[in-house]
Amino acid sequence: MRKPAATDAHAAFSAVALAAIDDVYRFARSLTRDEADAEDVVQEAYLRAFRSWHTFEMGTDVRRWLFTIARNVFLRSREKGKREVTLDDDGAEIVDAAQAREQWIQGGLDAILERTDLGPAIAAALAELPEPYREAVVLVDLEDQSYEAAAEVLEIPIGTVRSRLFRGRKLLQVSLAQHAMDAGLIPRATPAPSAE
Amino acid sequence: MMRDHAMDTDHIDCASAMERLFEFLDGELGPELEVRLRAHLEVCSHCFGQAGFERRFLAAVQAAREAERCPDRLRSRVLEALQREGWTGSDTP
Ligand SMILES: [Zn+2]
Repeated sequence: MRKPAATDAHAAFSAVALAAIDDVYRFARSLTRDEADAEDVVQEAYLRAFRSWHTFEMGTDVRRWLFTIARNVFLRSREKGKREVTLDDDGAEIVDAAQAREQWIQGGLDAILERTDLGPAIAAALAELPEPYREAVVLVDLEDQSYEAAAEVLEIPIGTVRSRLFRGRKLLQVSLAQHAMDAGLIPRATPAPSAE
Repeated sequence: MMRDHAMDTDHIDCASAMERLFEFLDGELGPELEVRLRAHLEVCSHCFGQAGFERRFLAAVQAAREAERCPDRLRSRVLEALQREGWTGSDTP
C-alpha cells in the first residue's frame, strides 16, 4: 500500500481523531474540573496529536491514544502550579469509616439507583474523588476503557488500576450517599453521634 | 503457571469472590475464574445480593455519564489552532 499523501493524512485526522473530541473534552473536564482549563487541555492535546499523527497506528483505539496525550498535557500544565497530593492510600480511612455504615449506604443507594435524576449527585460525587481514583473510575466507568487501556493511559500497572477502581468505586458510593441525602433523595437515617 | 493463591481451590470463598467481584462485573476476570465466580454466585445468596447491588451501581454511574458535548466554540477554537499548524482537512463529524 502506498504511503498516503498529506491530504489523506489530514482527512484521516478529521475522520478519526477529531471525531473523538466529545470524549476528549469530557475526559479533560474530569481531569481539570474546570471549564477553562479543560478547554486549554483539549486544544493543546489536539495540536500535539496532529503533530504526532504519523505515530498513530490506524486501527488501534484512538481514544486511548488521545486520552494519554490529554493527560500528559494536563500533568504538564499542572507542574507549574501546586501539585495535588496523589497518595495511593488517600481516602482509605473514609472507606474504613464507612464499613460500619455499609449496610445503610447500600440500602439507601439501592433504593435510588434507578432514578433518572441522579446525574447531578453522581457528577458531584465523582468530582470529589481524589484524583488517582477519579481518573481510574472515569476511564473505565464513563469512557468504557479496559483495565489494560486505563493502565496504559495512567502509566500504572494493571493491578493498580484494579485497586484504584475498587477503592474509588467504594468512595464514590459513600460520597454519593451523602449527596443523595443532602438532596433529600435518601432520608437522613443515621444520626451522627458527634453532630452538633 | 502462576495462580492467585486466594483462588487456588476449585471453590471460591466469599472473601475471594467479593475481592474479585468488580473484575467479574467488568468482564476482566478471565474465562476460568469467571466460571468459578459465577458458580459461587449461584450458591451464595450473600454474594449474589452484593453482585446485584454493584451491578446496579455501575449501571447508574454509566447512565449518568454527562451527555456533555464539546462546545461549538471550543471546536472552532481547536480547528483554528490546527489550521495555523498546517492542517488542511475539513471538520466532518
Ligand atoms: Zn459468597
